[in-house]
Amino acid sequence: MSDLQSDIRKEAARLLSENSVDVVIGFENASVPLRPQPAFIKRAEDAEKLVFNGFCQNNLATFLNRYPKTTRIGLVARGCESRAAYALMVEHQHPRENLVLIGVSCAGILDWRKVEARAGENVLSAEEVNGEVKVRSRLGEFTFDRAELLHDSCARCVHPNPVNADIQLGETLPEGDKALARQPIAEFEVLSSTERYAFFTHEAERCIRCYACREACPMCYCAECFVDHTTPRWAESTVGSSGTHAWHLVRAFHQAGRCVSCGACERACPMDIKMTYLTDKLNDDMQSLYGFEVGLDDTSQPPFAAFSLDDKDRFVS
Amino acid sequence: MTPWKPKIVLYQCQWCLFSETDQKWVDSQRPRNVRLVKVPCTGRISPLYILNALQGGADGVMVSGCLPEKCHYKEGNLGARRQLDEFARLLTFVGLEEERVQFAWLDLQERGRIQAELARMEEELTALGPAQHLVTRAPVKEGGLA
Repeated sequence: MSDLQSDIRKEAARLLSENSVDVVIGFENASVPLRPQPAFIKRAEDAEKLVFNGFCQNNLATFLNRYPKTTRIGLVARGCESRAAYALMVEHQHPRENLVLIGVSCAGILDWRKVEARAGENVLSAEEVNGEVKVRSRLGEFTFDRAELLHDSCARCVHPNPVNADIQLGETLPEGDKALARQPIAEFEVLSSTERYAFFTHEAERCIRCYACREACPMCYCAECFVDHTTPRWAESTVGSSGTHAWHLVRAFHQAGRCVSCGACERACPMDIKMTYLTDKLNDDMQSLYGFEVGLDDTSQPPFAAFSLDDKDRFVS
Repeated sequence: MTPWKPKIVLYQCQWCLFSETDQKWVDSQRPRNVRLVKVPCTGRISPLYILNALQGGADGVMVSGCLPEKCHYKEGNLGARRQLDEFARLLTFVGLEEERVQFAWLDLQERGRIQAELARMEEELTALGPAQHLVTRAPVKEGGLA
């Protein structure tokens, strides 16, 4: 990982000093361990600030459309970030020519909640050495296997390698198993409707409506979200069950065929609410009905933006 | 005491009923448990409409629209079909009975089809009983706050 980090610094410094990008978006260390924060590097000498490790949990593609389209952005892009960037290009959020993808193969993001569950809160430092994670906390020193700390979305990641990156750093990793990614949906679908509804309400009704999931999501960029819309107000803005159900259902639905399954929403959630099962289900349907997978190129429209008369067999009865 | 009847919200595309008798039936002679919302095209129906109807106490939602290539606006129904169908599937995924959201895609020649569809849906919903899941908005009581 540390090699990768110095490669990223080198590339960022090169791009900035050659003046081929205006800003490089990556990660830098924050005041607490386990939570590196997004960094926006504008000068070549600041490239030394960049870090890269398994605790980098944001999806950096979120920041693409916060810049004007003329800004040339260098984006440190893992598999999910590159796919989110391509999905945003399809939706004309940033032109391809003003984007340099610094592709990094990703072995999966480590879930800080899983670290804290094992090592206790107040983690003092954490580092990755050869597939092991060494954590020092008030309770003592711990060594964990990397695989057991992976975030759930990353454990079933299908595309760990960046798609069509301009610069590829690190070695290419084997692609994930689609059957494994589908497994949680299949397990959920066999439950009875009462059990499924019980799970859904248990998750959705803990929501405090902070919209951290929306802010963390690269595909949630509407200037006015449907929950902020007041005339008419289609979804209640309170934390009552009506409002939280509507938020979780419709937020997920707006991601149908657009979600890149990065899991940034779940990592951002302060209430530890599971929500990727909804978007994974929708993505799975898009795959089986329309053969569509998001973010593999910069031209294919998501199924809800494009439609064709070939669908007419599905107008049943 | 009169037997319980399911409340059905019918979202109807204003162009889908070609027969005048059928349209008249839907406009003024439909049973009282069927609430009508006319829309310019099924493409105008947001998934939020369906969710709001279910949350507000509807036992079932029916969407009636035109067949492909028969859409007054060329392709509104194609987009609607993709979206609403998937939304119904998502609602089923989180535990709503699949009979509660139904579609009727009507053809030019089909006289009396909408009546038959509504009767069939009412029968299915009566067997299911009142909606339990997703009903989270208390219906406004008469004389209460608007």
